[in-house]
Amino acid sequence: MDSERTEEYLEAIYKEQTKGDPASTSFLARDLGVSQPAVTDMLKNLESKGLIDYKSSKGATLTELGVERALGVIRRHRLWERFLTDVLGMKWDKVHEVACKLEHLDVPEVEERLAVILGDTDTCPHGHAIPDNKGNIKKEKAVPLTRFQALQRVNITAIDEGDSRLLAAIEKKGLKPQVIVTIHKKNEDGSLELEAGNRKIKINADLAMALLAEPVSAGQRDTIKEETTLSKLNAGNTCVLKEYTGERNLLGRCLSLGFTPGSVVKMLENFNSGPVLVKVHDTEVALGRDLADHITVTRNENA
Amino acid sequence: MTETAMGKHIVVALAGAPNVGKSTVFNLLTGLSQHVGNWPGKTVEQKTGVTHRGNLTMDIVDLPGTYSLTANSAEEQIARDYLVKENPDVVVAILNAASLERHLYLVAELIELSPRLVIALNMMDVAQQQGKKIDAKALAEALNIPVIPIAASKNQGINELLTAIEQEYRQPAGARELKHIEYGSEILKVINHVEELLDDSITAPYPKHWTAMKLLEGDTQIDKLVMGRAGVGKSSALNAYLRENESAAVTIATLRYEWVERMMAKTQEKPPLGRVSLTEKIDRAATHPISGLFVLLLVFGLIFGLVYSIGIPLQKFLEVHLVESGKTLVNTNLVSAPAWVRSLLANGIISGVGTVLTFIPILMLFFAAWAFMEDVGYTARAAFVTDRFMHLLGLHGKSVLPLVLGFGCNVPAILGTRIIDSPRSRLLTIIVAPLVPCTGRMAVVTLIAAAFFGGAAIFVSIGIVIFSLIMLIITGLLMNRFVVGGEDSALLMELPLYHLPNPRIIGLVTWQNTMAFIKRAGTIILAVSLIIWLLATVPNGDINTSVLAHIGKFFEPLGKLMGFNWQVMVALFSSFIAKENTIATLGTLLGGTGAGLNAQLKTLLTPAAAVAFLVVQVLFIPCVATVAAIRQETKTWKWPLFTIAFQLVLSFSLAIIVYQVARLL
Repeated sequence: MDSERTEEYLEAIYKEQTKGDPASTSFLARDLGVSQPAVTDMLKNLESKGLIDYKSSKGATLTELGVERALGVIRRHRLWERFLTDVLGMKWDKVHEVACKLEHLDVPEVEERLAVILGDTDTCPHGHAIPDNKGNIKKEKAVPLTRFQALQRVNITAIDEGDSRLLAAIEKKGLKPQVIVTIHKKNEDGSLELEAGNRKIKINADLAMALLAEPVSAGQRDTIKEETTLSKLNAGNTCVLKEYTGERNLLGRCLSLGFTPGSVVKMLENFNSGPVLVKVHDTEVALGRDLADHITVTRNENA
Repeated sequence: MTETAMGKHIVVALAGAPNVGKSTVFNLLTGLSQHVGNWPGKTVEQKTGVTHRGNLTMDIVDLPGTYSLTANSAEEQIARDYLVKENPDVVVAILNAASLERHLYLVAELIELSPRLVIALNMMDVAQQQGKKIDAKALAEALNIPVIPIAASKNQGINELLTAIEQEYRQPAGARELKHIEYGSEILKVINHVEELLDDSITAPYPKHWTAMKLLEGDTQIDKLVMGRAGVGKSSALNAYLRENESAAVTIATLRYEWVERMMAKTQEKPPLGRVSLTEKIDRAATHPISGLFVLLLVFGLIFGLVYSIGIPLQKFLEVHLVESGKTLVNTNLVSAPAWVRSLLANGIISGVGTVLTFIPILMLFFAAWAFMEDVGYTARAAFVTDRFMHLLGLHGKSVLPLVLGFGCNVPAILGTRIIDSPRSRLLTIIVAPLVPCTGRMAVVTLIAAAFFGGAAIFVSIGIVIFSLIMLIITGLLMNRFVVGGEDSALLMELPLYHLPNPRIIGLVTWQNTMAFIKRAGTIILAVSLIIWLLATVPNGDINTSVLAHIGKFFEPLGKLMGFNWQVMVALFSSFIAKENTIATLGTLLGGTGAGLNAQLKTLLTPAAAVAFLVVQVLFIPCVATVAAIRQETKTWKWPLFTIAFQLVLSFSLAIIVYQVARLL
């Protein structure tokens, strides 16, 4: 029980300090739902264990040891989230709370098996990086959507998973990690008007706060996602379809079989000559090579 | 809908993508009451049937399998034209629950036509096996359309489906409001603008809004119709606007798939990940370029093994007990009848009809094997594996199936080319299909080879098969390059999930195909048999002095180049009725049968001429039933006449070369 509480504190402090500031007692009290005096007691306890540096005027920051433990918890949390969505088929707005319980189960073998089952997953369903087993984590540069200017093009990289209702609302709008949007207009009430693909989407201020994004510029785009053609994808790889560039008379057939922009396509068989076999919208589809040559895709980092 | 004293008569249309088990549902609903024909002006099969429910008579129309209602193919055009123009009383959308995501797209399109719609969620059992949890109730609520889960292969849910159809029909018009897809203001603005450029007189019988969407989606058929009807000024304005908004096609489809995704989120829990479906496991072997070929050869080997071990003996049996004993019956029981009557019955009708009948066992086996492969889902894999080779000939992966069927008989092979969706590949397949050595030709080849080459006969027979397949490939390459115009079309097809075969469906399909063959080929063969009989009988009843003999003698100089005398030429010509007629004609001309025929053949042909005869026999013009099938499927005389001319030249010139070379050896 004690270690569970410890871990929750470490996790909260870690998240706050990655945003730039030490975690204040008032923040921790709010975030963890406990009284300020209780937080102060706990922080002193943690300091005595060498997990944090604590100054009552500023707040708490993790020591190296503290960071290591926090990342362990975060790794388990995000792995469990992936497991819950991908393997158990739960919705992404439900998994955070369950993972909060599971993350405290510190059995190295379980963690190892999770990582194996999930393959080369490197983000949680909400787009946050999963620390590797050596305690390294890709630094998140993403900031809330509200911080960007109108007409900026941004790549949504992650979503704040704290509020499950917000997550459900975000999903309804068709927004998820790796969707590129253009901010069309910032309204006075904090709501934003976005464009994704060819769609107009309006989101309120709460949603805009929860969506974390990075700017996209023409040059940067290639570094974010590598663009290629479907025919060059190896078996087992997944990609997101960008567009069909072949003859227009085949466009209709491609579209009705589900080769629409943004669709996830998994390559099942590709032997560098002859037709390829892919999975799209839950069906196996055979495609002639010349067709596959004319479908541009971006490799899916989440795959 | 018509009301009679007997009760109400309504029309129910079944819509659905290929491979959703639509024909299974159709068969369960209608049983043997169905009528198989063609859609007017098309070579697409039209199936209708009747079912009763209380005093309600339902005419069930099975629409061709379609993924969408945009006319990307003849099938899709027929389906949507039927829905728009005929306005069926109830439309049943049949979806595959195991790949619901793919099939909801069609529902998105159907909703736009606002019919009375019922959804049959088929293959619920398969979905369950795959660990997919589908909430039919939630789907029904989300769509505001009745959704009936069924498992057609297990005959489950059909009654409930009928009840839902009835209820939907009995509901007052407008009682159910379909939830239309929200396309968003941007795209609606574009659609509305197109609509403003149209008027009802241009779009009728299609609704204006729907027509506008189809124009934006790039539907060529609608485009042609509208541009033809709109004046010059209007159509150029429309064209310019459509070109400007070319991306709308993609947007509309994307929005529909997003709608599908939202529906899916409400209906289906994400399936477990780590689980690899049985289909995927089998496909790793069945679609691999190397192991897939082995699987293919194994499957085809089994089919041929079956045909040759069961079909051929059955055919021989029928020949002896039906044709021969029929002839004997006529000759012994009708002694009092004039000779020409007996000859007409025995040599004209019985041998003509008998020829058809003796082939039925072989054909049924082929049809059954075909239906089996189709039902379990293997045909698409066979097409995938062979596509890389077929492509070189300008053919399509799917070409391999009719061509294999051609080994049984070329007629179903020609009809079977309907599965090829590219018109060009289909035409090429039709042109090369008659070069597949059918059982009729093989019967002649086997007999001649046995007469001349004794123990080596089997190798000669195999050699001839390989020879004609090489000719097929060369022909394919030549036609692809020089004769048939147009663009190559790319392979794009769904590989359906494998599932257990349904004996009832296989039986029905086999039965329907066999009946269709008997009707089609039977009548033609009978007619031509009678003509040839007449030619062989007039003027005085002796074939040796008949018109046919004169024709043969006229061509004797040509025959001499191949080492044939006029009797052989006549025998060859008679193969136009049916390939195996060659032997019977030779028998008649020489007046001998069985062992006697063998000895006489040796006096008739030198070994060199015998080889030339085998060559000419396998490549000679297609039989009359095949020619008729080509005419029917290409809808023009150009291609059947071309095939006749081409194979005439090909067979004679190769036979001449073979004879002249062989003579020197």
